[in-house]
Amino acid sequence: MSFQNLKTFDPFADADKGPGEAVQDGLVHIRIQQRNGRKTLTTIQGLSAEYDLKKIVRHCKKEFACNGTVVEHPEYGEVLQLQGDQRENICQWLTKTGLAKPEQLKVHGF
Amino acid sequence: MAEEEAIFDPSLKKKKKKAKKTPFDFDAALAGGTAGNESAEVEVGKENENPEEEEIKDVDDLDLESFGKKKKKSKKKAFPIEDLEVASPEVEGQDGEAVEDQEDLDLDFSKSLKKKKKKKITGVVEEEKDEKEESTGVAWTTDGDYTYDELLNRVFNIMREKNPEMVAGEKKKFTMRPPQVVRIGTKKTSFANFSEICKMLHRQPKHVLAFLLAELGTSGSVDGNNQLIIKGRFQQKQMENVLRRYVKEYVTCHTCRSPDTILQKDTRLFFLQCETCGSRCSVASIKSGFQAVTGKRAAIRAKTA
Ligand SMILES: [Zn+2]
Repeated sequence: MSFQNLKTFDPFADADKGPGEAVQDGLVHIRIQQRNGRKTLTTIQGLSAEYDLKKIVRHCKKEFACNGTVVEHPEYGEVLQLQGDQRENICQWLTKTGLAKPEQLKVHGF
Repeated sequence: MAEEEAIFDPSLKKKKKKAKKTPFDFDAALAGGTAGNESAEVEVGKENENPEEEEIKDVDDLDLESFGKKKKKSKKKAFPIEDLEVASPEVEGQDGEAVEDQEDLDLDFSKSLKKKKKKKITGVVEEEKDEKEESTGVAWTTDGDYTYDELLNRVFNIMREKNPEMVAGEKKKFTMRPPQVVRIGTKKTSFANFSEICKMLHRQPKHVLAFLLAELGTSGSVDGNNQLIIKGRFQQKQMENVLRRYVKEYVTCHTCRSPDTILQKDTRLFFLQCETCGSRCSVASIKSGFQAVTGKRAAIRAKTA
């Protein structure tokens, strides 16, 4: 059970963090998409714009042995894109590095 | 590509078989909320083979992971009449028993004799109690020498007497048919009983569809036979996971976990109104969010240009 109203929340805390509604709700959305065949793609949306996503993707590519890129989206800001189902990996890594809190992570997909 | 298919197919088949056997158990989703309620009652083992055996089990040791491993055989074997009534959409909603029907729904995607057995067990307990009352006389004296079981029965009966709704709560589970997920060709998946499941959840297919597509990150539509066709390959198990998340967010009350709720739209926001405890809370709106380009870029370029 989560009492959403009871969380202390500063509505202006992320005012200077650039575009992206996902940034505003504070959640990091981790999604999976199917490509052709059994190939998949993991997208990470909502990481704070304060982080250097290019640096993150460079690290992730090495760590998870997959390719990846950063996509600029007009509405969602910078989105991380990794090849394959990296949802588990990225969740662990984001928590480990402290880039996102576990309760911020929202994993979608099957 | 062809090679890939060859590698992929057998494993898929195997998985499918496995998936069919595993129950889709919504208890897990509820376990957190109703544990307090349910730990007070006795839970009967769900194995269909031994309906007579009164195996007592605590619901507490069900967790999100365990339902897949429980060996419940086929869901078709056991098909109690009450469940049939609930399952047929014409019966429910037609008469004023809709609410009652919903109470009978079991948050469990598989058919089981649970409910029946549970009734039986409470019956047995009550019989025992009756006998005891007769044998020990009308009054329970303070100096009596009672066994633990006797006292336990006594307190349970008092609880049942005082809160009739708790007794009703005992069987308030939500039986759902497992989603029938079949692959069409190599690239599409059919969710055959989609509209049926929407009816059971008392939710608009439109809303369920939006959620499924957003979660699976794909596109799809309902065809003439009321089945949902979605792009991509998905297995029954995966669909169950997504449906379970839907139920958790948009069907069961966030306060008391009752499935007896109404989803209302109010100034662009969806609210979940509980019919049992009266709580009303807003639920997350469905957003598919960022969608990466997965198709052929050339084709997209041709379309836009
Ligand atoms: Zn409620």
